[in-house]
Amino acid sequence: MKFEVLLESAAGRSKRVVELEKEGATYKVSLDGQPVDADMVLAAPNAISIILNGAAFEFHMAPAAEGGYLLQTGALEFHATVCDPRVWRGRKPGAHEAEGRQRIIAPMPGKVIRLLVKTGDEVEAGQGLMVVEAMKMQNEIRSPKKGKVERLEATEGQPVNAGDTLAWVE
Amino acid sequence: MFRKILIANRGEIAVRILRACREMGIPSVCVFSEVDRTSLHVRLADEAYGIGPAPSRESYLRIDRLMDVARRTRCDAIHPGYGFLAENPAFARACAEAAVTFIGPSAEAMEMMGSKTAGKQLARRCEVPTVPGTDNPIADAEEVQSLARAMGYPVVLKAIAGGGGKGMRVVPSDEAFSSCWRDASSEAFNAFGDRRVFLEKYLESPRHIEIQILADSHGRVVSLGERECSVQRRHQKVIEEAPSTIVTPELRRKMGEAAVRLARAGGYVNAGTVEFLVDASLNFYFLEVNTRLQVEHPVTEQVTGLDLVKLQIAIAAGLRLPFAWETITPRGHAMEVRLYAEDPDNNFFPCAGKILARRTAAGPGIRLDEGVYRGWTVPLEYDPLLSKLIAWGNSREEAIARLRRALDEYTISGIRTNISLFRRILAEPEFLSGDIHTTWLDQLLARPRPPAVAAARASEAAAAIAAAYWECIEATNFVDGRVPAGAPSRWKLDGRRSQLDRQP
Repeated sequence: MKFEVLLESAAGRSKRVVELEKEGATYKVSLDGQPVDADMVLAAPNAISIILNGAAFEFHMAPAAEGGYLLQTGALEFHATVCDPRVWRGRKPGAHEAEGRQRIIAPMPGKVIRLLVKTGDEVEAGQGLMVVEAMKMQNEIRSPKKGKVERLEATEGQPVNAGDTLAWVE
Repeated sequence: MFRKILIANRGEIAVRILRACREMGIPSVCVFSEVDRTSLHVRLADEAYGIGPAPSRESYLRIDRLMDVARRTRCDAIHPGYGFLAENPAFARACAEAAVTFIGPSAEAMEMMGSKTAGKQLARRCEVPTVPGTDNPIADAEEVQSLARAMGYPVVLKAIAGGGGKGMRVVPSDEAFSSCWRDASSEAFNAFGDRRVFLEKYLESPRHIEIQILADSHGRVVSLGERECSVQRRHQKVIEEAPSTIVTPELRRKMGEAAVRLARAGGYVNAGTVEFLVDASLNFYFLEVNTRLQVEHPVTEQVTGLDLVKLQIAIAAGLRLPFAWETITPRGHAMEVRLYAEDPDNNFFPCAGKILARRTAAGPGIRLDEGVYRGWTVPLEYDPLLSKLIAWGNSREEAIARLRRALDEYTISGIRTNISLFRRILAEPEFLSGDIHTTWLDQLLARPRPPAVAAARASEAAAAIAAAYWECIEATNFVDGRVPAGAPSRWKLDGRRSQLDRQP
């Protein structure tokens, strides 16, 4: 699988292309087209240990409020946006609607107060999926694309953290 | 000794007290508000009772509910911890009325020493130096100026009704007096309709140094030496250490004797802290007394080898202190950092949320006092203190090296913490040479922080791979809700991991 990773850190922004190819229990990894010697393990929940050409790293993963992930390692922090390969391949200039399977995340910590759709429902781009209340404000979470609600991960009345997955739209 | 102790607090300090009770073989009772049902102190408790909704004034500050739990569970002592009701004379009184021992000073001692003005008057009476200044407000410029000359510049003029820096002027020299006077008194008049001002000696870059005392009910009062808490952000302590880099054995003796004198005069019993400001010429001035256990007590515990909470309980039970102050010699150096759930990039705004991953610090010389665990949601309702990381070393240099090393090991993700602030402070040359004062950190934070470009570059490739790998895991987790073929079962992985964790 090919991923386009957009990184932001103290060193600025950069774009890297990572290819992960399953090889038995591990992956063959290439970075920006060059094969690299990398070993990845999920060492603990939300903690990825990586040995890259002998150098050891550990990243602690958390969803970021604005989407994407926060990666923490020692004193450093990275924000990463990973493009789903299908979305990436299918991106058309000027297209407003997202493509491929979309993960719907909570933009802020709050509480799901109403579900507007059921699993399996057909939705239009921009259609409301659910209402999340945060800081006494009700926010409608909308579908980024036309498609089908593949799964709802949230239930009514459930408190959610920023970045929690609420639903998947295929 | 006590039959059972009620711990009237939450978070890390409730855990700290619970541990002391357990070591002494005394059963304890914890209390919790609705949002604290899953807090660590409740998980570790012998007995636990809900005392109401999340807001502290409806739970942890409800004297009636706490006394009710104490009565129902047949507790004969209450430890208040710090914060909440720890310095509330009404709570100490309610305990006395219910014939439950309050582990702390009497309500009278609290009233006499706890308030800033009463404490200052007591200090004057027993010849403990206070910041020189006028007791009564003065409206006459010439009178104030002659007093200022006698006191020596710089001085500070403070409006009687002042607050928030209004009607306050620092007067650097005699020449500047008349213009400063004009500004201060007119500002005071415009803001509060009162021209009168207090005159106080202005301490330039003072240090905050406090003396830990212990007093038993048999008249023995000892000083356990000093703690330096000069690294403060807006008057909140951020780093504490013992011993102080500027305190000489002579100054330590003088400050200790002053603190003991004050405690005796106030009829103080149990653990307490006398706070002082110390100027560049090593003059010390009384600030206030904290009539409770301090957040930073572990620093003193690490250098003296004493357990202050256990001593508090023993003193409250009427036991004699088993040592004299002459026998207490601080050993090595200890330093504590307070890790808060707050965002250093967003003006240290408190950040509640769920702790998704956590790797703790351990190893030589490291102590971690905390009330958090992975998977716990930090509630919004209380002080966002997560952990106190304390390092001990043979020298200050070793303590700092251990603290830095431990901060690199310690990670919490899912919520924002102020860990990066400590990494920055612990690398500052001024801090390393001990050249600090109470406004040092505020000045440091006003300077832009150099970004760690080189370090970020070095980890960039690995970060990109980690992000892609994580996306892969997240996607696979979803597709069938099961572990991908060929990968070991997650149950198995978790089982192996917990086996590993169990190794001594």
